[in-house]
Amino acid sequence: MRLLMLLPEHYEFFCPVKINSGNRALEQIPFELDALNARKPLVIARKDASERGLVDVIMDAFKDSGIAIGIFDGVPAAPDLKLVRELFNIYRDRGYDAVIAVGGGSVADTAKVLNIAVSGKPEDIEGCAGEDQIKNPLKPLIIVPTLSGTGYEMSRYAFFDGRSYASHFLMPHLAVIDPRMTIQEDAVTTAATALAALAHAVEAYTGSGKNPLADAYAYTAIQLIMEHLVNVIRDQRDRNGRLSLANAHAMAGCAFSNVAPGVAHKLGKVMGDECHLPPGLCMGMLLPHILEKQMSEGGYYISDLLLPLAGFDAYASMAENLRARRAVDTLYDLLKDLSVASGGAIPRTLKDARVSQDILQDIAQRAVGNGASFDMDGCMKVLRNAWEVR
Amino acid sequence: MKNFREVAAEKKSLKRDYVAIMMWFMGRAIQAAAAVDRAVKKEFVELPDGFTFALSVMPSGPHMIVGKDQMRFVRYRGWDPEGKRIDLKMKIKNIEAAMLIFTFQESTTLATARDRLIVDGEVAHACAVVRILDIVEVYLLPKIIAKLAVKRYPAWSFRRKYLGRVLTYVRTIFGF
Repeated sequence: MRLLMLLPEHYEFFCPVKINSGNRALEQIPFELDALNARKPLVIARKDASERGLVDVIMDAFKDSGIAIGIFDGVPAAPDLKLVRELFNIYRDRGYDAVIAVGGGSVADTAKVLNIAVSGKPEDIEGCAGEDQIKNPLKPLIIVPTLSGTGYEMSRYAFFDGRSYASHFLMPHLAVIDPRMTIQEDAVTTAATALAALAHAVEAYTGSGKNPLADAYAYTAIQLIMEHLVNVIRDQRDRNGRLSLANAHAMAGCAFSNVAPGVAHKLGKVMGDECHLPPGLCMGMLLPHILEKQMSEGGYYISDLLLPLAGFDAYASMAENLRARRAVDTLYDLLKDLSVASGGAIPRTLKDARVSQDILQDIAQRAVGNGASFDMDGCMKVLRNAWEVR
Repeated sequence: MKNFREVAAEKKSLKRDYVAIMMWFMGRAIQAAAAVDRAVKKEFVELPDGFTFALSVMPSGPHMIVGKDQMRFVRYRGWDPEGKRIDLKMKIKNIEAAMLIFTFQESTTLATARDRLIVDGEVAHACAVVRILDIVEVYLLPKIIAKLAVKRYPAWSFRRKYLGRVLTYVRTIFGF
């Protein structure tokens, strides 16, 4: 009998993030701050988080705690170093000792980079860019993800103002996932972030850096996304579904931090930049085609994916040699279901997403240049297949 | 800086008052139940002499302090822990968690399992206190609510349940 899990010769896994999830989870933050030896946090958020009442929920959670909080709710979509320097001055002058980021994406990246500055000096921001350039633990960082986050916020990566950072010290000390913060984004944003998390989890589960602990996070993330994503797109009031997705994003982020980024991530990011599409959508549309190519090259763990993707019954009723095919088909079905549930707003193919065929070559070239594990021909094959209607 | 403001933490006075009243009543009810119910009495007998525990809401109360006095009688010792020797501190992490417990949306056992409270002291003693709280809640609450508040609703005799309930209420109200 073939073993489902082969222990690697060697692996490393690191996840220092405490996850606090569920009903009234935000109210635990003052207690957690105390445990982190922090007394006065600076909360940063985007303006729309304030407009949608998310900052009010945070303020309400701090009532009765005796803790005064600073709130900056003006993080733009593309923050720059000037903003971080201004936030650094506020943090230092007013005696803050922790950062709380409300939301994912640019807010989480700003919080991570701000944390580099406040844990040392502002000049460190430039010096710490790159792989493992941060040498010491940083100050307390708490991230409160919303459904607009992809799980990157939980990762060891930050992308800020044209620089990329990678260090375990960037990972937050605590992630607080509260259903009140997962209020519905639009269908495309919800799908894009969930598909990014799904791609990260699938690539962690099938990639060369696969290990038992990353598997545990990836498996659960895949299962939660498959069980809830379509329902959440269909019914925006599905509170449990939204909470499950936010948990899945966080878990996928942890798994992603412990393996090398896969082809779907690299191609999807490049395509998102080139075509001004949410990178998560691109990753989602490319993922089944990438797996199909890996399957044709003997991708060993794709058949095991069927279990978290489709559940026990589907897995058990499928012959072993057909499971990989079924796993890939399940991902095609997911894209179809999402498209139907959103009334066509979520594209199934690159053509639906209005990606020009002329740009595919450039995308492949940039992805290969960024270290995608497929060669030029492989990337082009995936892109062409993902462009056409299946 | 634009878009920046500092906010002082407000109070949740209504919720604090509600929890304080519930704790006051619960503390007196524990004292009453220790005189009425054999199981509660037995739990206290097995706790060390002079044992005192506090159930508190972090960061600054309200509190409920109950302990055995020199004569081994169980006494509700008020809401101020200042100057009292406390052997076991059970701290609910925040007022919202306390509301979940004292509005019986979560049992003490479930709240503990969900990390809503922390224990500073012997775990065995904390388990005894949780069992005592469960029994007292069965006396105080109608079955439909008590079933939500306790781990397992017990199958008591008519006499124990209803006579015990009357005596517990009378002793709680009159404080003896």
